[in-house]
Amino acid sequence: MPTTTSSSSFSSAASSSGNRQADVFSRLASSDPEVKLKALREVKNQIIGNRTKKLSFLKLGAVPAIASALSDSECNSILVQSAAALGSFACGFEAGVQAVLDAGVFPRLLRLLTSSDEKVVDAGARSLRMIFQSNQAPKYDFLQEKNMEFLFSLLNSENENVSGLGASIIAHACGTTVEQQVLCEAGVLEKLVILLDGSLSQREACLESLATVLKNNPEAVSRFVGLEAGRYLSSVTELTKDRYPRTRLLSCLCLVVIYNTSPSYFLNMGTKSSLVTTLLELLNDPGQSGDEAALGLSSLIAEKEDLQKLAYEANAIKNIVDILKTGSELHPKRLQGLFLSLAELCSKLEDCRCSFLSLEMLDLLVNALRHNNADVRTAACICFRNAARSVKNLSAGRFTNDHVMLPLVQLLHDPSSSVQVAVLGALSNIVLDFSSPKSTFIEYGGIKQLIELSKSMDPNARCSALRALRNLMFLADNKRKELFYSEVKAQGFVSLISDPEPTVQEQGLALLRNLVDGCINSIEFVFDEEGLILDTVGRQLRKSPQAQMAIQGMYVLTNVASGTELHKEAVMQQLFPQPQAESNNFMLKFLQSHESQLRSATVWTIINLISPSSPGALDRHVKLREEGIIPQLKNMVNDSCLDVKVHKRS
Amino acid sequence: MSLFRIFINQDDDDDDMATSKKVITREEWEKKLNAVKLRKQDMNTLVMNFLVTEGYVDAAAKFQRESGTKPEIDLATITDRMAVKKAVQNGHVEDAIEKVNDLNPEILDTNPELFFHLQQQRLIELIRQGKTEEALEFAQEELAPRGEENQAFLQELEKTVALLVFEDASNSPVKDLLDISHRLKTASEVNAAILTSQSHEKDPKLPSLLKMLIWAQNQLDEKAVYPHINDLSTGQLQDPPE
Repeated sequence: MPTTTSSSSFSSAASSSGNRQADVFSRLASSDPEVKLKALREVKNQIIGNRTKKLSFLKLGAVPAIASALSDSECNSILVQSAAALGSFACGFEAGVQAVLDAGVFPRLLRLLTSSDEKVVDAGARSLRMIFQSNQAPKYDFLQEKNMEFLFSLLNSENENVSGLGASIIAHACGTTVEQQVLCEAGVLEKLVILLDGSLSQREACLESLATVLKNNPEAVSRFVGLEAGRYLSSVTELTKDRYPRTRLLSCLCLVVIYNTSPSYFLNMGTKSSLVTTLLELLNDPGQSGDEAALGLSSLIAEKEDLQKLAYEANAIKNIVDILKTGSELHPKRLQGLFLSLAELCSKLEDCRCSFLSLEMLDLLVNALRHNNADVRTAACICFRNAARSVKNLSAGRFTNDHVMLPLVQLLHDPSSSVQVAVLGALSNIVLDFSSPKSTFIEYGGIKQLIELSKSMDPNARCSALRALRNLMFLADNKRKELFYSEVKAQGFVSLISDPEPTVQEQGLALLRNLVDGCINSIEFVFDEEGLILDTVGRQLRKSPQAQMAIQGMYVLTNVASGTELHKEAVMQQLFPQPQAESNNFMLKFLQSHESQLRSATVWTIINLISPSSPGALDRHVKLREEGIIPQLKNMVNDSCLDVKVHKRS
Repeated sequence: MSLFRIFINQDDDDDDMATSKKVITREEWEKKLNAVKLRKQDMNTLVMNFLVTEGYVDAAAKFQRESGTKPEIDLATITDRMAVKKAVQNGHVEDAIEKVNDLNPEILDTNPELFFHLQQQRLIELIRQGKTEEALEFAQEELAPRGEENQAFLQELEKTVALLVFEDASNSPVKDLLDISHRLKTASEVNAAILTSQSHEKDPKLPSLLKMLIWAQNQLDEKAVYPHINDLSTGQLQDPPE
């Protein structure tokens, strides 16, 4: 914009403005109250609305200087101007909040609330409210009686800024169920709902704090709904049609909280439907309301197929895609919310997935994988994962081309563990595409990367990596299995199967099951290094594992037992190791398990062991009878699980 | 029997065939209107609402004394708000900003669009006064960062700075910015923001009522012929055309 000829005037502009700032800053420290007051006012007027100025004054050290002015003075005008200036530093500016708190002026601001001058009270209340909107606000201990008294004195105040502050403190500082309980029992709900009939800012503060107090707390919700026979629930519902978008948003978010906590209060389909449509409309708001609406929507429809359907029928997918395609820089929170909403829509409904994929969204989604905000990358991966549940689109090769695969595989290196877990989820689904050779993935070092991640510090990452590998090994050819095994080796498998986390063990065993499935050569893997892997499996099974793990373990044995005579004998060794001091017949326990899959898997193993076609079958049959296995089978002729019955019959 | 009926209906139709709408004479109309009951209080409230929202403090105060109607907000706050509005209308934007911040420092801190428009107006005033170098400095220091933060602001900023490019700005494509109406637009924006922050509705009720009247007349035109109010300022009933 500026031309080169004027550039010299800009450098002087920059330095002269710098000089001006330094000048007003020095006047802040003046001992003359008139000069000081004027300087305070000047700083305040310069920084309000102007983030750049806030930053530059911050760097000069203005905050401590203003804090001293506040602390050292009793003159009302100085108090008002300095409090207002501090409040502005804290308004939506994290570095400012930090500086104000570091200056130790928080207690002084609290004392302003007891001033006799209304303007001083207002200024103090506003600044404190700005501080409490930040994550860095001091923790408010609701469990201390004097703190509760103070809080209620705020809520009871006639001054709108002060009661708003009370609500704000609750909205941002109340975190635990215990705190919610304590607040409810002290009667906070009754106080808050009065604010619903108040001014705009009181209503908004009330809605925010209600959402915080009611979140995930069914008792609190029922208390709220019980107030004056549901009058306030109706009020909040009415507010979703308010003229101010922020009010509509906050009331929607409040209802989302109530719905997620106690859905029974929302039997009326109409309310659910209008909640969905209102949030969809709010998505178009360009400001902060739109950002929060997106996250609110994803929270509302999460795991709820009926609401996902409602949203789909209300054209949600097209609306969201249109917003994403506008090309303007969207706030990361909004992007995250929009992608999560799309992901939820695609989580169960095939129509949604097809609709979404038909809208040429893949490019946009791929770009999001490269966004500098980790939450956005995570949300995009989850979106991929759910969209890839569409078998039709998956087998059409939509996801397995380089354009998509490369950025996904690159995310396996992502510094954020939540991104890693999310991309593993996506890849797990994508590698299930049987029609493609999946060589791109392997070419990009995918297997190596997955193995790396299976050793991650984060158990979720380990679990997800193994799940992806498990899917990759499903019906895989020998070449791929060899490649994979050569990277892991026996010891690697032993670590996986002995992982401290049961879920990781389960995935490890499932992976092993797929590895040894198929041709007889695959079974040899478990015999590597003198049967190290097989021994480990046997040991784990003997340790009374959880059902899910046991199922996978038994399927491993099933597959091994489907092999040669040697294989079958090895399995018998694992089942009945000698010498055995006390009887630890886990087979029997499994046959009596509540889990039908476990019974089924165990029966399969037995079938493979005693199948008449192999020479040692008879001996094994005898041994099994001795251990009480065969009699147990006879009892299971009428097993509730059809699967088991059929196997048994054979 | 039915044939007979048809004839009768046809007779009626002949009368209305020219218009096929119900005709209401002025006499009938005025009679209907007189039957509608209005409360004096409601009208007073409407008037007070208008005076207060538009910011006519003295008139509102006098009206309160003479009619006993209570203003819905504290008249003192109106004075403050009017001072801001007037400052903008007179081109004293910096002064207006200071006053807004005294009234409520949150307004400009939480309304980036309004803040930008006020700064933009300041730039326009500097350009209008011919203070070119100061204007450029101001644009660089105060407005350029806003443009960086927001794409839409950048476009408006570029339009404004374009005023400096033209020798005769008042005949350039961007001359609207120099127009007094732009000041009024900014003043109105600030007025609305202050009213909202005071939880007062930013629009008076009276215009809405009048709009409703015009709409209702348009709707009724499809079904009937009746005396219209064509001049809102006088409210005179005009006979329906023959």
